[in-house]
Amino acid sequence: MPVSLRRVTVFVLALLPLIYLLQAVIRIQHGEWNLLGPEPGRAIVFFTGTWAFNLMLATLAVSPAAKHTGWRWLLQHRRMLGLFTFFYASLHLLAYSALLLEWRWLEISQELIERPYLTFGMLSWLILLPLALTSTKGWQRRLKRRWKSLHKWSYPAAALMAVHYLLQIRSSWFEPVFYTILVLALLGLRRWSLLPASKERLSAE
Amino acid sequence: MLIRKDRFSTPPSSEITPHSVYLKRRHFMQAGALSLLAAASPVRAVIDADNGRDLSSPAWLAKQVSSAKPFTGETKEALTPYDNVTGYNNFYEFGTDKSDPARYAHKLTTDPWSVTVSGECENSGTFALEDLLAKVQLEERVYRLRCVEAWSMVIPWIGFPLAQLIKQCQPNSRAKYVAFETLQRPKEMPGQRSVFSTIDWPYIEGLRMDEAMNDLTLMAVGLYGEMLPNQNGAPIRLVVPWKYGFKSIKSIVRIHFSETMPATTWNLLAPNEYGFYANVNPNVDHPRWSQASERRLPSSLFSPNRIPTQMFNGYQQQVAHLYKDMDLERYY
Repeated sequence: MPVSLRRVTVFVLALLPLIYLLQAVIRIQHGEWNLLGPEPGRAIVFFTGTWAFNLMLATLAVSPAAKHTGWRWLLQHRRMLGLFTFFYASLHLLAYSALLLEWRWLEISQELIERPYLTFGMLSWLILLPLALTSTKGWQRRLKRRWKSLHKWSYPAAALMAVHYLLQIRSSWFEPVFYTILVLALLGLRRWSLLPASKERLSAE
Repeated sequence: MLIRKDRFSTPPSSEITPHSVYLKRRHFMQAGALSLLAAASPVRAVIDADNGRDLSSPAWLAKQVSSAKPFTGETKEALTPYDNVTGYNNFYEFGTDKSDPARYAHKLTTDPWSVTVSGECENSGTFALEDLLAKVQLEERVYRLRCVEAWSMVIPWIGFPLAQLIKQCQPNSRAKYVAFETLQRPKEMPGQRSVFSTIDWPYIEGLRMDEAMNDLTLMAVGLYGEMLPNQNGAPIRLVVPWKYGFKSIKSIVRIHFSETMPATTWNLLAPNEYGFYANVNPNVDHPRWSQASERRLPSSLFSPNRIPTQMFNGYQQQVAHLYKDMDLERYY
């Protein structure tokens, strides 16, 4: 499959959750008021948060998958997956501010400061923001080697997402713990494969 | 002299939709919605029509519920639609998702049902539900229900004051608290089989004796003029409208009178988040969210229907005296 066709496929697949959401919103506005339950705003906040996390995991999975399968072409799609992570995380933040807190700025800022789980979620988004802004080829050229170390900040961003989710456990811990294990596994894979590389670098200096 | 006693619902008169009018409107809307849905997708219409309804409780109870004294008080607030009350709630015995209770509770056997009374009382023993209910007159009451998660509903319950049941049990002078226990039957309650749950079953809740004897405290056996659906705590549940919803324990099988404060499920699980009293209080936040306001359901997408939360859920006139010397920030 030529790369452009693969790019379109990834783009459409990553867009499917949003398409699902948009059709739900349209149907709700057309009278199917109970489609997402009696708290549609809350449902949308949860849905976008879940998909931000799913795409974060997909983005982190690209390089180990490429390494293990030998399919180098997988790396050509990492940028788009990363950008979709930021896109759904932003929708999540927007939905929280608009649909749950109705743009009450004072309340939004208070909540973000006072509730640790929200602080961690917000920090994660704040890390993703510069990564999304510098995702272009131009910035990659301008930042040279620093670009790579900058984009390693996606690791703490993923860890913060896990903390954001873990802190919300009430009585059922399956999903937050499952996601956390996936994050740890994906970061752990890097640790093992990065170690020799960093040793090399050390010895070279 | 005529003394008018404010019985329970503080909101002033004349604004409630009478139940019959509500039902008419509901039928009208249902008919409209169903015809629309039928045109679009006949399968869905059939599913929606009997969404979550499993009112298989015994005929004697149905009869008693249908002859309940109708609601005579008044409230300004619109009732939360039946489908939301029965399709969106917490009953962790059936799962932690709010749609789980409606999905799984039909497996629960609610007849025969008995309640065991124990502890500091004269009349202990195990009683068939029928015998307990034979001595009470059911009535309808419209209450606000405020969940600790900051959403709220307005629900027309059918039940009787808990005080009437307590009198039947004849608690002695040592009885300072009353505890309640939910059924534990993992075979019929998938949430109790879950290995991911940190709850120690059975679910236990409790009240101080004066709270339990307050006229607002209701034992409910019905909802919206019908019997309680299983997901809402059939066949008998507690309703304590000035406390967060988790105090209103469902599907009660045991009532225990004690001299000491009972250990309660959510308090054991996370004492910094869920106090024993759990009075609705806009001034004391849950550690993870503010309690100053609530989302009255149903909410629409672009206006979440957030309203300020009232002290004691708006029932301060009837219950504030119970806590007059207490620091409610400490005893939350």
